[in-house]
Order: sequence, then structure tokens, then C-alpha cells
Amino acid sequence: MVRIDTELLSNRRVAEGYFELRFRWPAAAGAPVPGQFLTVRAREGSDPLLRRPFAFASHDGTRDEATIVIQERGSATRALATLEAGAKLDLLGPLGHGFAFPERGTEPVLVAGGIGVGPMLFLRAALDAAGVSSRFVLGARTAALVPEALLPRGAGVEVRTDDGSLGAKGTAADAVTALLPEARAALYACGPAPLMAALDRIAAERGWPYQAAVEEWMACGVGACMGCAVPLKGGGFLRACADGPVLDGSLVKWD
Amino acid sequence: MGLNEATRAPGGAAQEPFAPDLSVRIGPLVLANPVGVASGTFGYGEEYAALLDLDTLGALYTKAVRVEPRAGNPAPRLAETPSGLLNSIGLANPGLEAFIRDKLPALRARRCAALVNVAGATVDDYVRVVEGIEAAGGVDGYELNVSCPNVKSGGMAFGTDPALVALVTESVRRATKRTLVVKLSPNVTDIRETARAAEGAGADAVSAINTLVGMAIDVKARRPRLAMKTGGLSGPAVKPVGVAAVYRISRAVKIPVIGLGGIMTAEDALEYLLAGADAVQVGTATFADPGAAFHVLEGIEAWMREHRVARVSDIKGLLEG
Repeated sequence: MVRIDTELLSNRRVAEGYFELRFRWPAAAGAPVPGQFLTVRAREGSDPLLRRPFAFASHDGTRDEATIVIQERGSATRALATLEAGAKLDLLGPLGHGFAFPERGTEPVLVAGGIGVGPMLFLRAALDAAGVSSRFVLGARTAALVPEALLPRGAGVEVRTDDGSLGAKGTAADAVTALLPEARAALYACGPAPLMAALDRIAAERGWPYQAAVEEWMACGVGACMGCAVPLKGGGFLRACADGPVLDGSLVKWD
Repeated sequence: MGLNEATRAPGGAAQEPFAPDLSVRIGPLVLANPVGVASGTFGYGEEYAALLDLDTLGALYTKAVRVEPRAGNPAPRLAETPSGLLNSIGLANPGLEAFIRDKLPALRARRCAALVNVAGATVDDYVRVVEGIEAAGGVDGYELNVSCPNVKSGGMAFGTDPALVALVTESVRRATKRTLVVKLSPNVTDIRETARAAEGAGADAVSAINTLVGMAIDVKARRPRLAMKTGGLSGPAVKPVGVAAVYRISRAVKIPVIGLGGIMTAEDALEYLLAGADAVQVGTATFADPGAAFHVLEGIEAWMREHRVARVSDIKGLLEG
């Protein structure tokens, strides 16, 4: 974990309100693994006040570059969306725990809902690099919210939209339900709570392992403030930042 | 009081290097400098260890410790507001026994002063935490959290009643000779009354302010943004409230006042010191910039050099008007 002032290399719009920020990520900062995140201070001053967490969407150790994918939602993401190449970025990372690779003999199924696409892209690339084939499912409300330029190439990539404007009509969870129940799948997901809850039910029914990257409001990002509490089915909490963001999805109380 | 007569270093001609004395005495404890990190923002000192050397600061005020472990409040616990942060963490903490076993040894080994923030639902709870830590060897001092707005029983109930502030303070005072700070709630009509109560009951210092009760509503969802509906507001939005509280308290009591609330920069800290504080705490700013407390310390030292102020305690005498 380091705090660095680094340089934004490019900022491109990849879907409606979605931007991919590519920036210098020096080796000395440590190589992130898929599922880990960073926090960024969108600008100096007190509004926005807190740093914002974003999962790494890629990392290229040979070029010392990494990316995040953001969605414009409030003042911080609006400020980030308007940054131009050459801008200074105040980053803190890599933070948290990432995904564990699947057991031999299981087929990883990567499920991204909306802006949850970032960490799943990074995991797909890492699996590809390790020679592990995977399925990739992206769910979005509508075609305009699908970052097509970022989607993995190759086999096993599927898009679902709520309105059927791109790919089959339906949710990402529908695509997972359509998989053969007797398949030995390992679920990996990041997305909105209803999707995460649906995948939890599918994983429980079929006995599939389920690694879930959670999203919560954060203040410190390093485990100190206890703000990003994720409620557990058995009572108690885990911290999204320091215990996660990748958690055993079967433990999390999703609704 | 004239700045030049009273605060110039002995024999200090203008061109000679000028080294201000940054140390501050709070009860029996001498802090190396006036800047601490506020309770709840630095855990027990471990989480930021990879990033920062806390030992260059004056003091670490820990996350609150209670007798029993506490999981904390339901999520969401955080909401950002204009230049502010609402939280309802609910004193999530591992409990006294686990604290003594897992956290105390590292705290005792620190070079910077470590003050344990103590919370409870009854007077006996506060006493038991302090007695337990004392029996395990003690720490540099204690900060009594009599003012947390996020826990239904105790907490703020103590902090808003001068008689209860006096009762909890004098009860803990009997359990320790170490530095005892009482953290005051701003959610009162006249904060000078609780400050005087703490002083009268034997506190070595008061710290002010804890968070202000606040609420934010998601209009689209027509729902409070915090699961607990209301929470404690911190950050730059509360700074003028904190500065006024310190100004009033420091004119009502003789014990030192530790100022906090919205300090992001050295200039913010100097407002508190000019208002009457002897030391400061940096809290929410750490979340935006993990190095904030260090920058505040550097800035205070630079300001003291520039204005040739010999001691931190001299700063409060420099307020004009």
C-alpha cells in the first residue's frame, strides 16, 4: 500500500456516463491483484471530502500502467470524468483482498453488473494470462450502459440487458441460471445487491463456490474507521475495505 | 502581551536560527508536539502503519474501547455531506479483554503518546476499562468519550448533563493518576458547563468537539442515508462550531483544552490554538489525506518560526480583538 501522486495517461468515455482512466502505476507501488482497489482524491479541498474507492480494472506491469472504470454519479466522479491526460492523480493502493483463483476442474464464471465490470475485466485478463478459460457475463439496464470497447474478446462472453437492446433480454443472473446445473462452476461477481443476492441463491442451490466483490461507502479504505461494514447472515460485520472487498458471497446478508 | 517581549527565544537575534519548542504538557504527560490524531480515525494505530510513522506525532487517541465487544451499528454507517462526513459507526470495538491482549502491547511500545478513548453505558463501565488497562500496565492517558451521539444508552446522555460528566470523571479519576482527558459534546446549550464539571471532577484536560448530531436524506429513495437515521457530523463543516466551543471553554476553565473538529490544514489548527487550545487533533481529514496530521504539524512549526513564537502555549495569547 502506498500513496502516490501519479499521472493520468488517458481518459475515455466507454459507455453513457462510464469512463476508463488509464494512469501510471509504478512497480514500487506494488502489483495489484484482481479484486483489489485504490482510493482517489478527486480534487484538493473539502468538497468532495472523502477519497473514492475504485477497483483496478487492469494492470500492465511491463508498461507500469493500470486502469479503473468509473461511472458518473456525484461530484467526485464528475470531477474525475472531466480530467484530461497529464492530470495529476492522488492515489492510495493497492488495498484490500482480491479474488482467489478457482480450484482445478472448476469453470470460473465471471458476472459483472453495471459498474461492477471493472474488477471482473481484470480477473478475466489474469485468468487468460494463466491459461484458465472462463465465462464472462455482463448485465446492464440498456445497451448505452455497456462498455463494449472494454469487453473481453474470445469465447464465452455474453451480454444481457434488461430491455433487450443488446444481447439477450434479461439479467446477468438469468444467464447464470441457464448454465447446466451439473456444471462445476465457480462464481465470481461484482454488481448491485439484487444481482449479488440472486447469485448467492444459485450458488447455494448448486453447491458452487461464490466469491463476491462488495461495494460500500468508505471513509479510510484501510480498515481503521469501521465505516464500510458489510452485514453477515450469521450476525456481525466484515469491513469491505480490509476484510474484503472480495468476500465469500455465501456469508453476506445481501438484502 | 507583546509578541516580541514575551515569546522571542532567549538571546534570539532575528537572523539566528529559531527553534520553537513544540512540546505541550497535558496533566502529567508531555506531548512532543501539539498534533494528535482523533479517536476513531486511526484505529489502534496499526492500520496506517504501512503508510505513516505515527511516532512523529504528539499523540494517538485510539478508537473507543468498551468492556464488552461491540459489532457496531447497521450499514450504511457513512454519508458524505457538503464538506462533512456523517457517521454512525456505533463504537464498533473488540472489547476490553481483546484490546488488552491484541492491541495494548503495540500501543505501549509507541514513542508517541497513546491515549485510550474509553466508552461505556454506565459509570462502572468506564471505571472497569480504565482499571483493566491500568492492571495490564497502563498507557499514557485516557480520553473519556462521554459524548458519542451514536449509541443509545450512555454516551451522549453522560455528555449533556454536567452532573453526570462530573460523576464519570471523578470515578475514573480515582482509578488512575495518568493523564485524563474528557471529550465534550457540542450537542449542549452551553459547553462551558460540562467543561467546568470535568475540571471540577479532576480532569487534566478537555477535548472539544465531538461530532454534532446530523441527518441526511436521500430524496429519491425518501429514506435517511444512514441506517441509524441520525449520526455524528465531522469535517470542515463543523470547524467554526469547534473553534467557538474552544474559545468559550478556554475562558471558563484553567485546564488545557484540546481542539478538534474539521482541521484539514495548519491554518485550521492555528485557528484552534489562537482561540485557546493547547493542542489539537486531526480526525476526518486523515480520510482525505492520510498525511494530513503531519502536514498540520509541519505548518504549525513553520508558522511559529515565521512569527518567532517560542512555545505552543504562547499562541493562544496572540489572538487580537
